[in-house]
Amino acid sequence: MRKSILGLFQQPEPAADAMDGLKEAGFELGTFDVLTGTPYPEGAFGEHVPQHRLFRYPAFGAIIGFTLAVFLTSVTQLAYPLVTGGKPILSIFAMLIIMYEMTMLAGVIATVIGIVIESRLPNMQPGIYDTRITEGWIGVVITFDDESKVADAESVLNKAGALEIKHA
Amino acid sequence: MASQAVAHEAEHHAPPPNVDADVVTRELIATTTGASGRFKAWTWGLGILSVVGIVALILKFIDQGDDSTKWGYVAALVSFLLSVTGGAPMVAMAPVMAKANWVRPITRIAALFSFAGVATIIMLIPLVAILPPLVTEGARRRTVWYMAPDYSPHFWTTLSLVLLLITGIALFYSAALPDFASMRDHSTGWRQRLGKRLARGWVGTDVQWRTLRMRIGMFGSFYFLILVFVNFLVSTDFGQSMVPGWRDAIFPMYHTVSGFQAGVAGVVIALYFSRKYMKLEKYIHLDAFWSLGRLLFALTLLWIYFFYSSFIVFWYGRSENDIATLDLLIKGPMIYAFFAGMILLWFVPWWILIWNKVRRGTAMMVVGSFVILIGLLIDRIRTFVPAWSVPGDQIHQKWLKVIPETVWPDIFDILIMAGGISLVAFIVMMMTRVIPVLSVWQVQEFNLLAKPIRYMKGHATLVAKPD
Amino acid sequence: MQQRRELDQVYTNRKLLNGQLDTPKWWLPTVSILGVVVLIGVVVIATMINKGLGVTGLARPVYWGLFITTFVFWVGISHAGIMISAILRLTQAEWRRPVTRAAELLTVFSLLTALVFPLIHAGRPWRIAYWIMPYDISRGIYPNIRSPLIMDPVAISTYLTGSTLFLYIALLPDLGNLRDRTTGWKNAMYTVLSLGWRGNPRQWKMQTVGGILLSALMLPIFVSVHSIVSWDFAVAAAVEGWHSTIFAPYFVIGAVHSGVSAVVTMMALMRWLWKWDDFIRPEHFDALARLLIVVATGWLAFTFLELTFALYGQDAPEIALREMQMFQWPWNALFIIFFLTAYAIPVPMWLFKRVRTNIALMFWTSILVNIGMWLERFLIIVPGLARRTPFVYTWEAYRPSAVEWTIFIWSFAWVTFLMLLFSKFFPLVPLFEQKESQVFTEDVMIGRAKIPAIIREAD
Repeated sequence: MRKSILGLFQQPEPAADAMDGLKEAGFELGTFDVLTGTPYPEGAFGEHVPQHRLFRYPAFGAIIGFTLAVFLTSVTQLAYPLVTGGKPILSIFAMLIIMYEMTMLAGVIATVIGIVIESRLPNMQPGIYDTRITEGWIGVVITFDDESKVADAESVLNKAGALEIKHA
Repeated sequence: MASQAVAHEAEHHAPPPNVDADVVTRELIATTTGASGRFKAWTWGLGILSVVGIVALILKFIDQGDDSTKWGYVAALVSFLLSVTGGAPMVAMAPVMAKANWVRPITRIAALFSFAGVATIIMLIPLVAILPPLVTEGARRRTVWYMAPDYSPHFWTTLSLVLLLITGIALFYSAALPDFASMRDHSTGWRQRLGKRLARGWVGTDVQWRTLRMRIGMFGSFYFLILVFVNFLVSTDFGQSMVPGWRDAIFPMYHTVSGFQAGVAGVVIALYFSRKYMKLEKYIHLDAFWSLGRLLFALTLLWIYFFYSSFIVFWYGRSENDIATLDLLIKGPMIYAFFAGMILLWFVPWWILIWNKVRRGTAMMVVGSFVILIGLLIDRIRTFVPAWSVPGDQIHQKWLKVIPETVWPDIFDILIMAGGISLVAFIVMMMTRVIPVLSVWQVQEFNLLAKPIRYMKGHATLVAKPD
Repeated sequence: MQQRRELDQVYTNRKLLNGQLDTPKWWLPTVSILGVVVLIGVVVIATMINKGLGVTGLARPVYWGLFITTFVFWVGISHAGIMISAILRLTQAEWRRPVTRAAELLTVFSLLTALVFPLIHAGRPWRIAYWIMPYDISRGIYPNIRSPLIMDPVAISTYLTGSTLFLYIALLPDLGNLRDRTTGWKNAMYTVLSLGWRGNPRQWKMQTVGGILLSALMLPIFVSVHSIVSWDFAVAAAVEGWHSTIFAPYFVIGAVHSGVSAVVTMMALMRWLWKWDDFIRPEHFDALARLLIVVATGWLAFTFLELTFALYGQDAPEIALREMQMFQWPWNALFIIFFLTAYAIPVPMWLFKRVRTNIALMFWTSILVNIGMWLERFLIIVPGLARRTPFVYTWEAYRPSAVEWTIFIWSFAWVTFLMLLFSKFFPLVPLFEQKESQVFTEDVMIGRAKIPAIIREAD
């Protein structure tokens, strides 16, 4: 596993300063991240804004759900053609309701899968962490390819006022 | 890395800056004067079309005043105009009640539509004269007037429409007092005199502001209640009850909801043109379009929901009147109007407005709004034209036994429709010469309550939510 | 007005996780008593399945009685969740925060309960399962998708699946929190359930964007579910009073009315039982009550339309039915109670801020609403069937039997039991939403006035 360190801050502002400091010290965006116990407005820490493709998932799911529903509603009715209530065998207006539900269902399931995948979860080896983050502390985590830069990162974190630095 | 930083900056546009209060007053009051040549040409054109429309209405009444089956298009137009001019002011009311900040600058433009209610009433006059009485050939037709006197629909619908007009104007006026005061203080000529007269001594004391808010709340609630009731009356008395056996409990709500849809669309169009041609980008932020876009999208979905809820019950019912109703309104003489309406009122706007990019812009929003208005006109034609095409001697029957042929518009109908719609646009455009198209005090309030801030390393807007 | 106070996150954790980290004293006795009631209910249901539907009061011509009424009632309650959580999320209403989780839970558990009723109502539940899902090729028999009775399970299972997933996704950050506060097997459980949540910007972004996206997807489902339930009735042309085009939106808005009221009931209980006075505050009840005034009045308008258009056709059977519903004993008494409890008593009371911010009053008025809304469903379903029509050769007055009443009571015990069980393992108030509200709200000074303000992200 790659070396990483975690600087802990009690207030958001110093954590944001640390993020700035890391950028200035030449750390690549994407090698450092901020961990919080609550969502902050996007860009509050000057962090790298994550790109995502979440909006494709529901569309993809909906198409699958719709196709399945078309198949299910039409093929089963044709396979067992029993006229009820004087309605045509392929009653499009009744089929639409089932199609609608199945489209939405598949859309929702795909979205949930999308949220999990795009959150990069499940992640059973999440790496360096501190339980105080869910108590309001802010963590700045830096991952290194090059271990010689650990000292640089530590000095940036200390300068910004990190209360504690953990290594892993 | 540098390019990423730039991309990052681009992702986070700073919110539009606030404008100083005195600049707001000066610039907005200046919009009432100095109309461009293009504006004048358009108003002249629309004015002429309106006059032609009214003349055509009179001629049609002289020529065909004795045959109710020929008046379907005028009925559809009345319903359409009611939807747009009645629905638009509501657009400004609902978010105000929810205390949304984005709506503050645009309440005026929505309220201006209530003046255009005059057009609805003008078009209604001959219809009231032609609408058959409740009892024909000794039999009472099916209406909500179970035991009422014969001419109840004629009287009450007209009265409620007039009441709607008055309440709408009262709603406009109660919110316009501070602006009339601004015109008194900063405008010139007849506008200044008008401001002086209508401001009624407004100086902006605490008590005056309190009463102003109370009045807006009160007239807003009244307006909403009356609007729902007017929709109920117009849709049943001038639509549903003209067809024997058409019993559709959702129709009044369908009429109301599609009216709101048209109202929002109307506001978006008005907003787009005033933003573009009066150079009001500083005051009409994209945020307003975004919020209106979401509202419009929701209403578009609501349209199909209401339509389907009603349709599926008829479709399953298969009783004689269920079948006749479906034949008359959907499958029969109006099938093309039905498909056109559905595509334009639901499918196309749905597909346009589903994109966040569209809702965050203006150009496609205005296209979507025009499509909705065209779709609504066609949809109103689909419901009202066949309803009026039922011969007068059949409307008291249990259900419709003979489905009438498609009624096509004659030259009068086309001129009347063009005239009626032009009249609405004409009135709204003329009103922008009388009072600023954006409410001066509400733009100032908007600026007071929403402040662009730096939040740590990012941009944000701080929106205050007073009681 | 939002009267906020600064709450630090350690305090928030300790208070809001008090159900999971230390068990309140009342919890075990309450759950035990409820468990006994649930058990009795299960035994009664089993007996009924063994003996057949003869033990109920159902008889010609009233085949749909208490069970179906209660089914519609619980489906209605389930509409609270998405109404509150999706609509308020989409409109960025700040006061939604403590309400969402409880509302979503209510959706899931009331749907689970609702599903039981049509199943046991069929008498032989295993057959109904086979009738909905007989997808075996050898017999070549398939369900009749033209029947609303097939659409209904499809819609409800869609809604149930969707809401459960929605609930889980929004639970992730709080599961991460619980993982950090627990040890031993509980820690292991929360570690697995939280999927390795860390709280980096990507994960938070997915929470917000995904939350909005799911809300937008769940809303149309929520509308469709009660509409389809209403079509169980409305597409039948045979029963006067059912064949009305307004049924779909009428049912939906009625469901929202009863669902939001149920959320109020639940919020009051949560505040009292877990002592969450800092989080569930009078202004939340105020906001919910204001929402309820609008919803209730909208519902009243639909009720008015429903009645108006029932009489619109001037058909003798329809008029006779309405006469029976409103003027004949015992329906008239029920009708009066229905109208008083569903609208006439609570709504005028809610017009006063003193009532809206009084939690005890809100609790009782919200219960009134649900009594009324249950009666509404009963008055739609039973009189329609009970009216004497030609060609029916035998009439029995419908009187729900003790078995039906027991199962009815069981359903309430069951939902509460599930809720309390859930509360032992998962927080009922979303902690991260609560903390987010601390980050996103600020007071601004305008002149001398201190006004609460919300930070809106720029884009």
